[in-house]
Amino acid sequence: MPRASILVAFLTAAGAAQMLAPVVSAQAPSQSSEPAPLATGDAAARPWKRYPGWPTRDTASFNTLADQKLSPPAPSAPRKLEGPVTGDPAIGAELVADRTRGGSCLACHVMGQAGNADLPGNVGPDLSEIGNAGLKDEELFNFVYDARVYHAETIMPPWGTNGLFSDAEIGHIVAFLKTLTKPAMFPTEVDDPSKRPPPVETRDNLDDLVNPGLWTVEKAQQLWTTRGPVGFSCASCHDRAEDHFKTWAASMPKWEPRLDKVLGVEEFVYRHAQVATGLSWLMQSSENTAMSVYLRFLADGQEIHVDVTSPGAKQAYERGKALAAAKVGQLNFSCLDCHNPERGGLHWIRGQWLGEQRGQYDHFPTWRTSQQDIWDIRKRFQWCNVAVWANELPPDAKEYGDLELYLAVANAGLKLNVPGIRH
Amino acid sequence: MADKPRLKLPKQAKKGEIIQIKTLVQHPMETGLRKDPDGKLIPRKIINKFSCTLNGKPVFSADLEPAIAANPYLEFTAKVDESGTFKFTWVDDDGTVTTTEESITVS
Repeated sequence: MPRASILVAFLTAAGAAQMLAPVVSAQAPSQSSEPAPLATGDAAARPWKRYPGWPTRDTASFNTLADQKLSPPAPSAPRKLEGPVTGDPAIGAELVADRTRGGSCLACHVMGQAGNADLPGNVGPDLSEIGNAGLKDEELFNFVYDARVYHAETIMPPWGTNGLFSDAEIGHIVAFLKTLTKPAMFPTEVDDPSKRPPPVETRDNLDDLVNPGLWTVEKAQQLWTTRGPVGFSCASCHDRAEDHFKTWAASMPKWEPRLDKVLGVEEFVYRHAQVATGLSWLMQSSENTAMSVYLRFLADGQEIHVDVTSPGAKQAYERGKALAAAKVGQLNFSCLDCHNPERGGLHWIRGQWLGEQRGQYDHFPTWRTSQQDIWDIRKRFQWCNVAVWANELPPDAKEYGDLELYLAVANAGLKLNVPGIRH
Repeated sequence: MADKPRLKLPKQAKKGEIIQIKTLVQHPMETGLRKDPDGKLIPRKIINKFSCTLNGKPVFSADLEPAIAANPYLEFTAKVDESGTFKFTWVDDDGTVTTTEESITVS
């Protein structure tokens, strides 16, 4: 051991022995191996209010990640119909491309010339020749009304059971399906989801002339030395951020036994800064996001490795895994329905590419050019919830913590690359 | 414009050299044509003018229009014959003027 290290070890041991009594001092305590002090209570605004500009539909009567006993149950048997289905195929052709109901049929199925064959998705089978399949009206009706009566594992939304389409509307859709007898003709090659090339992100996300997300790093560096009401700033204890946080963010999120939940970087930033500085950087505030970007930015290039060995962490991971498979919202989708490649992952949902879980964590918080805003992973979770017509949870919800831990494990070994840049 | 504009240009150059200058400023560039969820027009708010001078002499200037995307990025070249200070100016519809400076040594 070099002499300097011995000296440091000696001083640390001696200091620990002599400083048991609390010391009232203007000096900030130095960063130690003791668990960081954390504030309790809510780490985000209450009551939680949805972001301005997001859809305002209230889907409170459907499952959320916090409560999976809300949605109506799957019917036990197909509905019996009296006689053939009556409907107008022209109205059906409009309904299958109606974007006001979660993107409707064309989001997942190629359906001949429906919607002018404009960017259909390929999560579900091509239905362009379904009219030749010899299905009875009642079967077609029930497939749309609630396909779970035929395939319990289907990812197709229960359009009828969950009240998205009325019986009469499903009748029109069935009438339209029966007219589909010819392969789709696509106006251009990219309209064909089997030929459309997956998007590739090639922008240099760490060039500040390319990625406005990097501007938060500068903001965080200013915040680092901002003293709060307690009289301390981050720098009072962590004088050189770049020395202290080379790896830390790559080990987050982490099970926190004192709070009985998983803490991600954002929630940790709020809870620790609140106690240590008196500054109230609630989750989703610009200060919180800036600091969370910065702490990950300092660990860029480090491989993501989260600890799931303690019993609490193990249980949280298992809960996260179950949440990833939980059906939520009026559209009744789970995370895995869209992001597991054996289901919708690596497919097109209308013109949008569904990525798989791996690769959906290492670049968060990420600058979204379509939003002109930087989103952390919790805001992304919230958006996914709202997009499947489920009510989102507050960003500090323990369910999101469990899910984030599960996602981090799915991304283990990938190198942090924050802030990312995406559409 | 809460954030400082970004600049990328060399600190040193040879006399007569043509250098590349990149600038980026954070701004929503609201066109004045969009409507809010209540159907009301969102008022126009854009950077309408940009200029760059070296020792007070014009190097490059541009009138910006509503069709230019948020966070306008401008890249241009300049022939430098003397050491001095580049001054960059962005003018907002609301009258706000943002300036920043960068010096260059010409040998």
